[in-house]
Amino acid sequence: MNVSKRLYSYYLIWPALLIYSIFFVLPALIGLFYSFTDWRLDREAIKFIGWDNFERIFTDRTLLLAMKNTTIFAIVTVLGKNLLGIALAVGLNMKLKSKNLLRAIFYSPSILSVLVISIVFTPMLRSDGTINRIFEAVGLPSLSQAWLTNPALVIWTVAFVSIWQHTGFQMAIYLAGLQSISKEYYEAATIDGAGSWRSFRSITIPLLLPAININLMLTLIGGLKVFSEVFVLTGGGPGNASQVVGTIILRSFGEGSWGLGTAVNTLLFAAVTIIAIPLLIFMRRKEVSE
Amino acid sequence: MSFSRKMAWRNYLVEGFLILASLLIILPLLIMLFGSFMTSAEVLKFSLRLPEKWNFSNYTTVFREGGLGRAFLNGMLITGVSSVLNIFTSSAASFILVRRETKWSNFLYMFFFMGLIAPMSTITTIRVVQWMGFYGSITSVILIYASLNTAFSVFLYSGFIRSIPKALDEVAFLEGANTFDVFFRIVTPLIVPVNATVAIMVFMSVWNDITIPLYFLTDSSDWTMPLSVYNFYGKYSRDWNLIFADLVLTSLPVLILYIFCQKYIVSGLTAGAVKG
Repeated sequence: MNVSKRLYSYYLIWPALLIYSIFFVLPALIGLFYSFTDWRLDREAIKFIGWDNFERIFTDRTLLLAMKNTTIFAIVTVLGKNLLGIALAVGLNMKLKSKNLLRAIFYSPSILSVLVISIVFTPMLRSDGTINRIFEAVGLPSLSQAWLTNPALVIWTVAFVSIWQHTGFQMAIYLAGLQSISKEYYEAATIDGAGSWRSFRSITIPLLLPAININLMLTLIGGLKVFSEVFVLTGGGPGNASQVVGTIILRSFGEGSWGLGTAVNTLLFAAVTIIAIPLLIFMRRKEVSE
Repeated sequence: MSFSRKMAWRNYLVEGFLILASLLIILPLLIMLFGSFMTSAEVLKFSLRLPEKWNFSNYTTVFREGGLGRAFLNGMLITGVSSVLNIFTSSAASFILVRRETKWSNFLYMFFFMGLIAPMSTITTIRVVQWMGFYGSITSVILIYASLNTAFSVFLYSGFIRSIPKALDEVAFLEGANTFDVFFRIVTPLIVPVNATVAIMVFMSVWNDITIPLYFLTDSSDWTMPLSVYNFYGKYSRDWNLIFADLVLTSLPVLILYIFCQKYIVSGLTAGAVKG
């Protein structure tokens, strides 16, 4: 033990630890303090105001809407990206002639910037845009919608664009997971008379749990942190209909109400941690021990 | 026989369905690509067809008007330096974290791991950078990207280094090597594939990002390509042919990287996400 301590000296950790602590952890800790102040850009003196910022968050209609939208976005994208991701991975894990090409196609949007995809979708989602014209062309004009200007619909539209772009990334992780499952399990199950649905439920899902675990975490955390999609597609509008926590922080920053902005961020931090850590522990326990 | 025929039919059915679904992915991307060669009147229908005439001049116009040359160099500098910095610091830290199996190193591992979960505190990061006196500079953005990616990289490196037998280091130590030698002479050559994975992942996420430049680069001459594209998109909102050409140009570097480095992405996902 002593030998190992002497040999592996700690100084190799220092560069990473310093950069990470100064530019990531320190701001988070300072943010915790500033959340309880009336910190404003235009004022020199900073006053401690207790829970006032948080009270405001829970009574201000726009801020409440932003939290509701963030939750909807997170849930919808977690479900969409993972259900479609598993379906695509299972399909593309079969012996198909075009599987390599199809894998590359489904993966391709996720390597591009959210900015690029959001701008490409903007004209297609307009009332007179490509998507509505397709619905009209196939005789389903009732399906055409004001995708980005209907306040009740807009956050769902943004979630759809995110699912469209990133499902391929989840698919790639599920494919890697599927390929680590030995074929012998399926052969044994077939001999025992199990159908494909039964095999999927009793072999694929349990052995895929590490991949499911990591994908749920990634999509959930990514969903709660959403910013760029909303920023580019709608800017939070129409009105404030598609505001999310990320755009509210930018708005508070722009308005100079930095105390409120950090309080919103602290709340996001708390929400992500409270949801993610128990989920992480729960999922780890469910994984089949190797 | 009938069983394998049934399987074959099922495969054809799945394949047909997946090809149809893949059109949903390809079509918007082709509308962008073809549109980038059209005239501004022709592109406005936003439907899928080939341009009547291939206007390569859109690309030269965009490059000139959008200041993309400068933005490209800024992006390369920021992405390149932050990736390299991140690779060195994270791999060195992971090596020690994995090899010293003490309470303190486990705690530090969790400390880094929290960075995968916690969101960044943008406004107070600005404050910290202001205190240090380099708010608005490219250096600040490089350090912020390096710190934001530390958690993910430490996670990937730790998983991989754990699979390298400790006996290799011990032999070197017996020969009189120190930590530094062992890390650079023995571990570094062995983790080259992970370095490639981390480099690609960091490159893609940093190159594509608009959030950090939006908050931290106050001078537009320091902007990266996506932020310049965003600015251009606001200014030239009518010329969709130019906007599309702009989008294609900002996507090219990651596309080229992806084509040449596919296998590292897949191996990285397998090593980090599935086995980790």
